[in-house]
Amino acid sequence: MTALSSLEAARELLAAFPVVDGHNDLPWALREQVRYDLDARDLAVSQAAHLHTDLPRLREGGVGAQFWSVYVRADLPDPVPATLEQIDCVRQLIDRYPADLRAALTAADMEAARAEGRIASLMGAEGGHSIANSLGTLRGLYALGVRYLTLTHNDNVDWADSATDEPRAGGLTAFGREVVREMNRLGMLVDLSHVAATTMRDALDASSAPVVFSHSSARAVCDHPRNIPDDVLERLPANGGVAMVTFVPKFVLQAAVEWTAAASENLRAHGFHDLATTPEAMKVHQAFQEAHPRPVPTAATVADHLDHMRAVAGIDHLGIGGDYDGTAFTPDGLNDVSGYPNLIAELLDRGWSKADLAKLTWQNAVRVLGAAEDVSRELRATRAPSHATIESLDG
Amino acid sequence: MADLQDELHDPPEVHEPPVPRTGPYVPRGGPDPQPQPSAHAEPDPGAGRADPLERAYALLGRCPVADGYSGLPRALRELPWYDLQLGESAVDTDVPRLRRGRVGALFCALHLPEGLASDRALGATLEQLDLARAVVAAHPEGLRLARTAGEVLDARNCGRVAVVLGPATAAALDGSLAVLRVLHSLGLRVLTLAGTSWASEAGLTRFGEEAVREMNRLGVLADLSGASDATIGRALALSRTPVLATRSAARALRPHPDNLPDGLLAELGAAGGVCMVPLAAEQTGPALRDVADHLDHVRAVAGPGSVALSGTYDSGAAHPQGLADASGYPHLIAELLDRGWPEPDLALLTWGNVQRALRTADFTARAAQERKGP
Repeated sequence: MTALSSLEAARELLAAFPVVDGHNDLPWALREQVRYDLDARDLAVSQAAHLHTDLPRLREGGVGAQFWSVYVRADLPDPVPATLEQIDCVRQLIDRYPADLRAALTAADMEAARAEGRIASLMGAEGGHSIANSLGTLRGLYALGVRYLTLTHNDNVDWADSATDEPRAGGLTAFGREVVREMNRLGMLVDLSHVAATTMRDALDASSAPVVFSHSSARAVCDHPRNIPDDVLERLPANGGVAMVTFVPKFVLQAAVEWTAAASENLRAHGFHDLATTPEAMKVHQAFQEAHPRPVPTAATVADHLDHMRAVAGIDHLGIGGDYDGTAFTPDGLNDVSGYPNLIAELLDRGWSKADLAKLTWQNAVRVLGAAEDVSRELRATRAPSHATIESLDG
Repeated sequence: MADLQDELHDPPEVHEPPVPRTGPYVPRGGPDPQPQPSAHAEPDPGAGRADPLERAYALLGRCPVADGYSGLPRALRELPWYDLQLGESAVDTDVPRLRRGRVGALFCALHLPEGLASDRALGATLEQLDLARAVVAAHPEGLRLARTAGEVLDARNCGRVAVVLGPATAAALDGSLAVLRVLHSLGLRVLTLAGTSWASEAGLTRFGEEAVREMNRLGVLADLSGASDATIGRALALSRTPVLATRSAARALRPHPDNLPDGLLAELGAAGGVCMVPLAAEQTGPALRDVADHLDHVRAVAGPGSVALSGTYDSGAAHPQGLADASGYPHLIAELLDRGWPEPDLALLTWGNVQRALRTADFTARAAQERKGP
C-alpha cells in the first residue's frame, strides 16, 4: 500500500519536474543493431525486445530531457566521421518524432520543452578521441549542437588520462587544459565521467564553469575506478557542478564489480570486445551467467549512492545518468527508461522531500547548462577562439 | 562601404529567362555578337562610347563579381595576426581590395594542403570550416556568411561580401552521406567530386551516384574541376541542379589537366552548368589577354549562361599580370568590353550565372525535401 502510494507520488512529481538524464547510448545501439535504419527500430512503438529506450517508455519513465550520447569507439581509424554520423542520427530522430522530441541547445530550450511536454534532446560526445586533438573540430562539434564532451572514454587520449587505462599524463596535459578552457569559452560542459581521478582534479582546477559527471556513482559506496572519489565530490559545491548517478550494475554493486571482471575475461576468451552487446556476444554472456548467477543491484543500491553523494556533495550537485543502451545489464526495477519512478519512490520512502527530488531530477542539470552559458558569454567577450595545437603545447 | 550598393537596380538575372536545362544553346545576336543596347545600360546615351574601364566599374556596381575559389582561410592560418578590414599585405585578399575589385561574393575553398592523408580528411575539413567561419565572424563589417542565393543577395544589399563555404574535398565524407548532411548543416555548399574511391578516374560508383542525389536533395553543388572525364559525364547526366567547375579554363587553348575540353564544355553548357575560369597563369597563360581568350572560348563553346570567374587567390596559384590580387577584376571586364562582350553577357559572367546556379540548387533542394527523406 505504501509502496504504491509513493510510486504514485513519484509519478506526480516527475510530471512537474521530469528527469534530465545525462547519458543514453541509443544512437550507438541503432548504429550497431540496424546501421541507423530507423524504420527497423520505430521508437514510436515498443522496442523492448531490442532496446532499453523507446518513446512510450521514456514517457512512462517521466523523462523530460535526454543527453543523447554521440559516442563512437576510440579504436576506429578515424573517430570524427563516425561521430558526425551519430549526430546525424540524433537529428534524424528529432525530425522523425517532432511530437515527442525537441532539439535543445540551451537551458532555455530545456525549459521550453518541459513547458510543451516534449523531451528536450541534447547531445554529448563521449571521449576526447572525437575531436582528434583539434580545437577546430571541437568548435565544429559545438556548432553542430554537442553540449558536453567526456574528456576520455575507456582509453587515455593524448591529453588526458582515463580511469580505466594506465596513467600516462598524470591528469591533463597543457593541451588538455586548453581543451577545457576552450570548452568553457564555447559553453560546452566538461564531462568528467570515465576520466581518472587525477584528470577530474586537474579539470576542476582548470575549468571556470561548472562540470558534470554524466554517468558516474560514488567510489566510497562501490570501489570502482569509474566512480567519483569523495575528495572530488567535496569540490562540487565550490565548482557548482553536478554528479549524475549511474545505474550500471558493474559500477554500483561491489559483488557485480567482481562478477563483471570474470565475465569480461570470459568474453575476451571467446574473442569479443569487453563491451560488445551484439546478439552473439550476448549469447556467450548468457551461458556464463547460467553457470555463475549474476549479482543484481536494485533501485535501493542506486539510492545508497545518492544518499552518500548527497551527504558529501550536497543536494544541489546531484543528477541522474542511467547509461541505458550503453550497458548490457541494468538493476532490478530500473530495467529500462521506464524505471525512473521506482528510484524516485525509493528516495521518497527514505525521506527525500519533493523539493530535493525536483533538484535531483530537473533543476540541478538545467542550472549547470545555464551556468556554462553565462560563463561562455563572459569569456567570449574577452577571449578569441584558441588556435593552440597539441604539438605547440605538449611538444 | 557603400560602393556595392550605390545602384539600386535589381540584378539583371531577375529579368533573364532561365537557361534551358537541355537543348543546344543559341547565342544571342549570332556567332559574332555586337555590343547591343541593354535595359541596364547607363542612362547617358553616350555610355556605350565611354572609357571601357569606367563602363566596367559601372557594370560591376550593378553586378559585382562572384568569385568561385578563394584559399583565404588556409592562407590566414599561417599568420599570427591579420586585419582584413583595413588591409592585409600578407595575402592577396582583404576587404579594401575586394571592394576595389568589386567582388560581391566569395567561395571559400575548404580543400586541404597537398599530401594530407585522406583518412583524416574530415577533421582537417572541419578545421578549415571553423577557420572560415572565424574569419567571417571577425570581419562583420566586410564579410557575411551566406548559405543560400537569397542570403548572398541580402549580404550584397547590406554592402557586405557574401562568403559561401566550399568547395570541400569529397574525401571529407569518409564514404558517409550522414557526414555530408552534417557538413551541409555547417554551411557547406560545394563539394569537389574528385580524389576519393567513389569519384575517381573510373567515374562515379553507385555510392558516388547516391552522393550526387543527396547533394541535390540538400542543395550542395557539385564541383567538377579536377574530376575525371568519366565522373564529369556521369555527374552532368545525373545532377538535377547546375554543376560548377570552380577552376577550369579551356583545354583547347592550354592543355592543363584541370581545364575542360570543348566536348565537356559544350555538355556543361547544355546542362546549365557553370565553368568558372581561374585567374591562374598555369591554367590560362601569363597575361590578362590570355584570361580573356579563355573567357571568349568558354563563352563561345559553353554559352554566355555558363561562364563565370574564379580568382583562385591565396590558393598558391600564380596569377596573370594585372590580376595579381582581388582588385584587378575591373581591368578584366574592361578588356572584355573592348572585345565587344554585350553588357547582359558580362552581367551573367560576373554575377548572374553563379546566382542562378545557387538559386536553382536551393529550389531543387526545397522541392526534393518534400518528397524524399535522408
